[in-house]
Amino acid sequence: MDRVEDEVLVRRVASGDERALAELYDRYAGLVYGTGMRYLGDRETAEELVQDVFTSVWKNAAGFDPARASFATWVYRITRNRATDLIRRRKARVQTVDDQPFRESGETDPSGELSRNFDVAAALSRLSPAHREVLVLAYFHGFSQREISDRTATPLGTVKSRTTAALRALREIMSLDE
Amino acid sequence: MSEHPDIRDLLGPYVMGALEPHEEREVEDHLERCASCREEARELRLAHERLADLAYNVESPPPDLKVRVVARIPRREARRRVPSWVTAVAAAFCVLAVLAVLLTPDLFGGGALASADLSPTDRAPEAGGEVSIRGVGENMEMRLEAWGLPPCKREQYYELWLVEGDDRVSAGSFTVGRSGRVDVRFNAPSFADSYPKVGITAEHDKDPRASDTKMLSGELHEL
Repeated sequence: MDRVEDEVLVRRVASGDERALAELYDRYAGLVYGTGMRYLGDRETAEELVQDVFTSVWKNAAGFDPARASFATWVYRITRNRATDLIRRRKARVQTVDDQPFRESGETDPSGELSRNFDVAAALSRLSPAHREVLVLAYFHGFSQREISDRTATPLGTVKSRTTAALRALREIMSLDE
Repeated sequence: MSEHPDIRDLLGPYVMGALEPHEEREVEDHLERCASCREEARELRLAHERLADLAYNVESPPPDLKVRVVARIPRREARRRVPSWVTAVAAAFCVLAVLAVLLTPDLFGGGALASADLSPTDRAPEAGGEVSIRGVGENMEMRLEAWGLPPCKREQYYELWLVEGDDRVSAGSFTVGRSGRVDVRFNAPSFADSYPKVGITAEHDKDPRASDTKMLSGELHEL
């Protein structure tokens, strides 16, 4: 099955297509949730961040301009801004209760690492299904090359060469985007 | 230099540290002599580091969060002008369609051949769940994620069924604790994805047939 570009899905979201929103969720929710866990520190607020981000994507999809930024960049900005809002809100609440300064870096993604992660997620979503599969199984499920071979019923040598080709394709996509 | 193409194919697993020791030595010996492969390995290592960094920062959200996100998005104004019966039918199709892609191959799941959204019965109106079926070698694996199920009492358990008409084939049994949640995988035969429906019943004896206590059910959709 061919992968539909993020930007095409946003257009569908703008016309009210909930399946397109679900597809974008599949591609980015793990990263948004991981960002919430990392910067906000608890599951409940991380879930609130995911809810806020995808509600914002739904509401503002019509205003998204692919000529100005990729979807990954757009959703990164939404995530960063919403995470910062949630940090501030919690900081205010904690200071009211304890009258103590809230220990927080105060800035979400000062090193730009989060931004890079969204770019890599976007590049990964643009790989062919076969290339994406070997990388997802290796990096996100922690499978060895032999385990991937067993799970996908693919010869071990093919898994190794496909992994190399997939990393090469990912690097090329990232280079084009830089 | 006849080894060059073979070694080049191994450079990905090499930068990931995923080769056998003897293969790793072969690659390193080759890299000492081959500038183009060294450059290729350097490029691949950059991709590997970015990907490893992404994997470190990604975390799987709770399985029911997606359903909650889609359920809570504000409906578009235009839809409210549609006659209510059309809305109801469209909503039913829409929900099925959205839930059919819940386990579509993606960054953090991957490889599912069929999936089903599980709808509750009166016995567990707050319950919900998803079943996905994926190929593993020559067989299948079924993954069940469910929530909101009543905790099992002593000697009580739940059973997952593949359903076609009046025929039922057990896919496995499980228990649920106080969380009401379960995330389990079962081995399944290679034709598991050919069944049109799946269901979960509550069981409390050793009768191998399905009881009448249905808790969740759903239609399997090919992905």
